[in-house]
Amino acid sequence: MDWKLWEPLIEFARKRSLWIVSFCTGCGGIEMPPLMTSRYDLERFGMMPNPAPRMADLFLITGYVTPKTLKRIIITYEMQPDPKYVIAHGSCTINGGIYWDAYNAIKRLDAYIPVDVYIAGCMPRPESVMEGINKMMEMIENGTADSWKRYKENYEWYKKNQDELFGEGWREKEARRWIPWIMDDLKRAEKEREKND
Amino acid sequence: MTDYEALVAKILEKAPYAEGEVRRERRIEFRISPDRIRDFLKLLKDNGFELLLQITAVDWPDRGEIELIYQVFSITHRTHTFVRTAIPRDNSVVPTVMDIYPVAETYERDAHEFFQVVFEGNPKLEMPWILEEEDKEAGLSYRKDFDMLGYVKRKYKILDRFDEDKGTYVI
Repeated sequence: MDWKLWEPLIEFARKRSLWIVSFCTGCGGIEMPPLMTSRYDLERFGMMPNPAPRMADLFLITGYVTPKTLKRIIITYEMQPDPKYVIAHGSCTINGGIYWDAYNAIKRLDAYIPVDVYIAGCMPRPESVMEGINKMMEMIENGTADSWKRYKENYEWYKKNQDELFGEGWREKEARRWIPWIMDDLKRAEKEREKND
Repeated sequence: MTDYEALVAKILEKAPYAEGEVRRERRIEFRISPDRIRDFLKLLKDNGFELLLQITAVDWPDRGEIELIYQVFSITHRTHTFVRTAIPRDNSVVPTVMDIYPVAETYERDAHEFFQVVFEGNPKLEMPWILEEEDKEAGLSYRKDFDMLGYVKRKYKILDRFDEDKGTYVI
């Protein structure tokens, strides 16, 4: 059976059921409550905040991104099933915004993960976020929201940029970084327990 | 209302090594030498200054010193207190006040990471805190002689558009 025939219907369904990963990285996280609650009410578009990246379609990156959160963002992004879409809020994700000379804010989010829609502003009002979401829906309908395909096709380039910033093997390194300190705490707790016994 | 002049005089009577003044209502200020910081903060805590709010560091390259400001709050006397002390820039070592105000551990780690001030007696100074490994290796510091903008340009590989006209930075 040719699934191509069903594509418009599938795209319509995708457009009308965007589930969001609520990974509020920056100040834009505070714009989410008014969007979700009765005043702007995003749920009428079939969107809802979702606790697990494994079930999400839309990744909202709300505000500035530090290298530390970028590591988590990349991992979360890769955990999402295809198709996945990214909306980046605020000028910080475009060029660093007011953090343009800060050592700890990413200047261009585009270089590390692909972005479908940018919403400029510091912070964007909920109206402009809604406008961005409208745009996102249009793009899904005419099939131009292809960031997840771009990520697959140009994975070497994205990986090169990520490795340049974090160093080779950053995933393992990050996981191992806290182990010595956790072990120390465990040993200390064990000693105290022995003392108490 | 508290009589702030009397309060400062009372503290100074017990600690003759300090200098103190009232800046305005609800703000008093003391200056002491760094080797008496523990004695002085112990004295403050015994006299109703319950909370340590923050330890801030200020770098003064022209004076060659780093100024540490211990902000202490008193609920009893309804006043905010600054305890200022200055340590030399090239040998920035000061005793910890962790055992007097336990919350000092956090702020000492902070000042250690960004201003390289060593607090003798704080066991957690070397524990990972805010900075990433690569920032630490690059020697990132909030001291004035560190070229922060150059470091940012190198780290994020931003175009050198800032240098076209030094007066007005264009992003």
